[in-house]
Amino acid sequence: MESSPLIIEAQGLSRQYGDVTAVDAVSLTVRKGELFGLLGPNGSGKTTMIRMLTGQTRPTRGSAIVLGLDVDEDPIGVRERVGIIPEQETPPSFLTATEYLDFVGEVRHIPDVRKEADWWFDFLEFSDKRDVLCKDLSRGTRQKLMFTQAFLHKPVLALIDEPLINFDPIMQHKVKDFLADYVKAGNTIFISTHILEIAEEICTKFAILHNGKLLHTGTVADVKAADQHLDGFFLSLVRKDGHV
Amino acid sequence: MFKLFTCMMKEEWRIHSTIFGSLSFALFPVMIFGIAFMGSFLLPLFRAVIPGGDLTTIIHALFLLLGIMVGAFGLIGQEAMNRRFGQASLLAYSAKSLPISEKEIFCTFVIKDTVYYFILWVLPFVGGFAIASPFIGIPLSLPALLLVTLTLAFLTGLAGVFFLSTVYARSKTALGLILGLFLVGGSVLYLGAGINIALLFPPLMLFHAFSWGMLGLTCAAILILSAVAVLLFTAEYTDTTKRYANAMAPLARRLSFFPYPPLAAKDLIDMRRSGSLVGQTIFSFLIPLGLLWFLLSVLTRLLPPGGVLLLFAVLTGVIASTMYTWITAFDSYSTYTTLPVSVRTLLTSKMCSFTVLQIIPVALIIAVSLLSGGVAYLVPALAVSLSVSFFSLSVTVWLTGLAPSVLVYDAKVLLIYLFLLGVALIVLIALAFINPYYALLSVLLFLPAWLFIRESFVKWEDLDQPTF
Repeated sequence: MESSPLIIEAQGLSRQYGDVTAVDAVSLTVRKGELFGLLGPNGSGKTTMIRMLTGQTRPTRGSAIVLGLDVDEDPIGVRERVGIIPEQETPPSFLTATEYLDFVGEVRHIPDVRKEADWWFDFLEFSDKRDVLCKDLSRGTRQKLMFTQAFLHKPVLALIDEPLINFDPIMQHKVKDFLADYVKAGNTIFISTHILEIAEEICTKFAILHNGKLLHTGTVADVKAADQHLDGFFLSLVRKDGHV
Repeated sequence: MFKLFTCMMKEEWRIHSTIFGSLSFALFPVMIFGIAFMGSFLLPLFRAVIPGGDLTTIIHALFLLLGIMVGAFGLIGQEAMNRRFGQASLLAYSAKSLPISEKEIFCTFVIKDTVYYFILWVLPFVGGFAIASPFIGIPLSLPALLLVTLTLAFLTGLAGVFFLSTVYARSKTALGLILGLFLVGGSVLYLGAGINIALLFPPLMLFHAFSWGMLGLTCAAILILSAVAVLLFTAEYTDTTKRYANAMAPLARRLSFFPYPPLAAKDLIDMRRSGSLVGQTIFSFLIPLGLLWFLLSVLTRLLPPGGVLLLFAVLTGVIASTMYTWITAFDSYSTYTTLPVSVRTLLTSKMCSFTVLQIIPVALIIAVSLLSGGVAYLVPALAVSLSVSFFSLSVTVWLTGLAPSVLVYDAKVLLIYLFLLGVALIVLIALAFINPYYALLSVLLFLPAWLFIRESFVKWEDLDQPTF
C-alpha cells in the first residue's frame, strides 16, 4: 500500500477563525485504495479539514494536493473529480429528488445520469421518494440523496463527513459494504467520524484529531495487533492530550 | 404567552445579530436616529421645494411600506430561515412540539413583530426628529403626534399584509378579488373624482386633523385586519405526499441560451414552487410601486413634464434591483459546495436570472407610461429604470455577494450602498429634470456597474461563503 500513488497530501494545514484555531498545522497523506478515517470528538476540526481538502474553506497556512491538484489554486478542478458528502445534508428545498440528481448530472456533465440515478434509487431503497420535494424528505432520505449525488459520477475519491449518521442499521450495513467494495475496486474513501465502531469496522488507516491538532496516524490493523480496540486507543490518546 | 413573546423577541434579535453581527445590527437603530436627527435640520430646505403636506405623505408612505415589507417576509420566512440556518426550527413554527395552538403562536408573532420593529425603526426615527425639534423651531407636540401616526402607518402595512397573506393561504382567487377591488376603487376615485387615495390613508388623515374618534377608527381598522388574519390563519403543514413531475431536465434544455442552464432552471423552479415569484411580485414590487405612483402624482404640479414618470422609473429601478434577493432567498451556498461550481459562476447565473426578471419592471414602466399619457418619455424612462436597476444590483453584489439580505440591517453596508446609489441618483434625477431626454445618459451607469461586478468576482471568490 505504501507504494500506491498519493491521493491526498496535506502539509501543515491550519485554519484560524478569529481567536479560535480550528485546525493546527495538520499534515497527513492518503494513498490510492485506502479507506481513511479522520477521527475526533465534536469540534476537533474534522469538518474544517474536509472543507479545506475540497476547497470550500481556504487554509490560513499550509497546502493540500488532492488528486495531483493544488486545492488552493484549483478548487473547482478538485470538486470536479471528487465526490463530497457534507455533514449536514442540504439538497435544494424546492427540487424533487429526481430533479436534484438531474441538476447534479447537468452540472457535472454526466451522460446517462438517469440510469445511474435509477440504480441508486433502487440500491438505497428510496424510489418511492423520487418525485417528492427535498424539503419534505426525512433526514435519512436526504442522506441517501446526498450519497447518490456524491457517487453519480463514479469519483476516484470520495470525502464523506459522518457517513452513516442518519441511516438505520440495515442501511448502515448496506452502505458499509458498498464503501468496502468501492475501495477494493481501486478507489479511495476519506471519511470523518466520531463513531469509532464504524471506523474500526471499515477503515484501513486512520488519523486522530483533537483540538485541531493531529495526535496520531496509523492503521487499524496495528491497533488490533496490539490487542486493542480503536475506542480504547482513541480515549487514552485524547485524555493524555487533556480531554476531560 | 408573555414567555413566548419574550423568547420570540430574543430569537428575532439573535437571528439578526447572527446574520449581521451584533455590533453592525446594534448600530442600525442608532443610524436611523442619526439620519432622522440630521435630516430634520434639512427640513427648511425641503419645505422650499416640497410642500409640508407632501413631505408628511412621503414619510407616512415609507413607514407603510416598511410595515408591508416586514409583513411580506412572513410569506417566505420559514423556508428562507431554513436555507440560512439549516433545519433549525423557529418558535413561530413550533406548534408541533409545544403545547400552544398555532393561532396563539401567530398572534404572539404579530405582537412581537409590532414591538420589535417599533423599537428598531419607528422609535429611533421619531426620537431623532424629537431631539432636533427645539433647534428648528418645531413644537414637541409634532414629534409626539408623528410617533402615533407613523406607528399606525407601520401597523397598517403589517396588519394589511398579514391579512392578505392569510387570505392568500386560503384562496388565491379571494386575494385577487380584494386586490382588484382596491385597484379599481383607487383608480375610480383618482381618475373619476380626482381624489388622491393617499390622502384617505387613515394615519395621514389623523396627522392632518387629530381627533380621538379618528384615532379610534384607525386603531379599530388595524385590529380588525389583525383579528381576521389570526382567525383565517392556517398552519401550513407539509403535505409529504405532494409530488411533482420532473421539471429540471426539460427546463434546462429550454434555457440552453443561458450560460449555466441548470442553475437558471433551478432559480426558476425555486421561485415558482416557493410561491415567491407571485408573492414577491405583488407584495414587494407592485404594491409598493403602486403606492409610490399615487404619492408621486401629488408632485405633478411641482415637477417638469415627464418628471413624475422619470422619478417613478428611478424608484422602479431601485426596487427592481431587490429582485436579486428573490433569487437568493431560497438558495444556500451549501447546495453548491459538493459541486464544481465557483462563486463567480453562481454570481453570473444569478445575474442572468435577475436580467430575465427585469421583464416585470419593463412591463410596468410601459403600462404606466401608456396609462399616464407619458409615451413620449417611454424610452428615457425605460433606460433610467434598467440602468438604475443594474447599477444598484452591481453595488449590492459587490457589497453582499450571494447574501443580499445583509444589506438591510448591516449599518456599514447600508450606508455605503446609500452613498453610492445616492450620488448616482441625484445626478440622474437632476439631469432628467433639466431635460427628460438627458435621462438617456443613465446608460453610462452600466460602466461603473460592470466595474463593480468585475470587482465582486475577485472579492467573493477569495472569501469563504457562509454555508448552513
